[in-house]
Amino acid sequence: MVQNVKLGKNMRSVSIVGIGATPFMNLIKNDTYHGLTNGELFGHAALDAMKDAHIEPRDVQYFFHGSANPHVLNHCITPNVQVADWFGMRGKGSLSHSEGCCTGYIALEEAVFAVASGAYDIVLSGACDMGTGMPDGNTPDHMRVEMSTEILFPDLDSIFDRAYGRYLGGGPGMNHDDWINLYAHENNLTPDEIDDVLNHQSYHMRRAGALCPRAVRRTTFDEMAKEAGYDDVWEYMKSPHNPKMTQYLRTSSDSCVADGAAACIVVPTEIAHQFTDKPVEVLATGASVLDAIVPHLEKKATAEAARQVFEATGLTADDMDLLFVNDFIGSSAFLAAEEIGYLPKGEGWKYVLDGRIAYDGDKPINTNGGRTSYGHAFGASGMADVFEAVTQMRGEAGLRQVKKLPKHVFLRGFGGAQNVRATILRAGF
Amino acid sequence: MDNNNTIKTEDFWNPEHIVEKFWNGLAEGKILARKCKECGAIEFPPHLACNECGYHETEWTELSGKGVLKSFVFTGILNARLELEDKGVKYVCGEVQLDEGPSINAIILGVSKKKGREIEPKLPLKVKPVFFDMGRYTTLFFELDED
Repeated sequence: MVQNVKLGKNMRSVSIVGIGATPFMNLIKNDTYHGLTNGELFGHAALDAMKDAHIEPRDVQYFFHGSANPHVLNHCITPNVQVADWFGMRGKGSLSHSEGCCTGYIALEEAVFAVASGAYDIVLSGACDMGTGMPDGNTPDHMRVEMSTEILFPDLDSIFDRAYGRYLGGGPGMNHDDWINLYAHENNLTPDEIDDVLNHQSYHMRRAGALCPRAVRRTTFDEMAKEAGYDDVWEYMKSPHNPKMTQYLRTSSDSCVADGAAACIVVPTEIAHQFTDKPVEVLATGASVLDAIVPHLEKKATAEAARQVFEATGLTADDMDLLFVNDFIGSSAFLAAEEIGYLPKGEGWKYVLDGRIAYDGDKPINTNGGRTSYGHAFGASGMADVFEAVTQMRGEAGLRQVKKLPKHVFLRGFGGAQNVRATILRAGF
Repeated sequence: MDNNNTIKTEDFWNPEHIVEKFWNGLAEGKILARKCKECGAIEFPPHLACNECGYHETEWTELSGKGVLKSFVFTGILNARLELEDKGVKYVCGEVQLDEGPSINAIILGVSKKKGREIEPKLPLKVKPVFFDMGRYTTLFFELDED
């Protein structure tokens, strides 16, 4: 691959001035939420973001709707058209986009482009996915049934290259464990040691999720172990209660599929203080995309996207106070942290075992619990991370607030086998 | 005056069918790739342009299918290749670097859990191609070259 991209400077700086998010939930099984629709979820997140920016729908000039798989999950192709009326933006310009599980991070990138170019001053960008269910046949939107494996499993292959990779087969099979397998060999770690590292990481992510009211999984592993009759939580983590789903990943390191939406409002930085006294500037976004047929693609694309964004901002990993990694493959969290330099090379696993990556550690990652605890509403997950990043930077994360108020936050988006984004946010106050 | 309006569309735009030619090649036991006309890198599987140096033009070449297995993983319930599970074959997924240069994630047949544990410390190991009949198409897998 050719690595010669040098990011230019935006025509004007862009800042986030409003955020909104629904909880991540299971609409199929939760009686309170069952029957809510894409338009309602996206609409609530959008209106919350507008309220946060002290604006009304009439003030917003353009919006983006992100969704990982609108056709299968919602039986629609242009969800932007179908949601616009829900939050008072009938007739305004909008766009649907879909980049798998990276959608929510690209949602921010796209909105920044729209404002940085000078085309628009006030832009809403949101993402919504309803991953637990699917339309109940050809019926109104509130009628949904549980996603069936007969529909889901064959469809999952649609993220892999149909010309070659899907049928040569290795890429899809390498998707989950390639990087952790490479890491284990490079650092001479045994399967048992890797198991311990991943279990500790899930444990600490869940400690954060337990403190996050929007997270879908809030029961700590200590509580689950006790409930199952285990005195030792680490014994529980290695028990049949937490089975292996791949060679390395147990259930606790797998994403928890959810339904949910999140949104933000972006404006030119020069007018940001008109909307909030705590604007968050989007400094730059690095991007790299590699198909699943490429060996070690997540490592390579993460390194390339990070190179771009660090070069563009003049910052280094040492400047980062908080990291978000889209970790629907649980091992991604500390592996990406090492790759970008947030954790020392070859030592990330020790930081995990020592709990230093926890929300109350000195190198916090995924303070909302990440995909294994906050949940994974596919395209919406990235924007939920943006929501949490801004919440932490404002110092409004309550019990899970990190020790040092973050000045710089790094977001590593990932998804769609695989798009990668690397965005750096800076507190503009 | 533009006289091109008398030319048939198919006469002025008639590209090669790269993907189709590749899969037809596998059915005949041939592994086709493209070679960059500027840097010489092998583009595999074949595409129009070169991803190594970013030059626009490549030409056909044929590969031996021989290479080395550099790393591999077993699959589990979350990432099993259902089309192979249905056939009951033993396999792993791994990085294969072909003798001509390119590396891909591939499927390696004939590696059980026991075999996998035996060979892992010995990597990289030589592999050779297997032209595997999937019914409606023939695909390319690999197996250990223990000859």
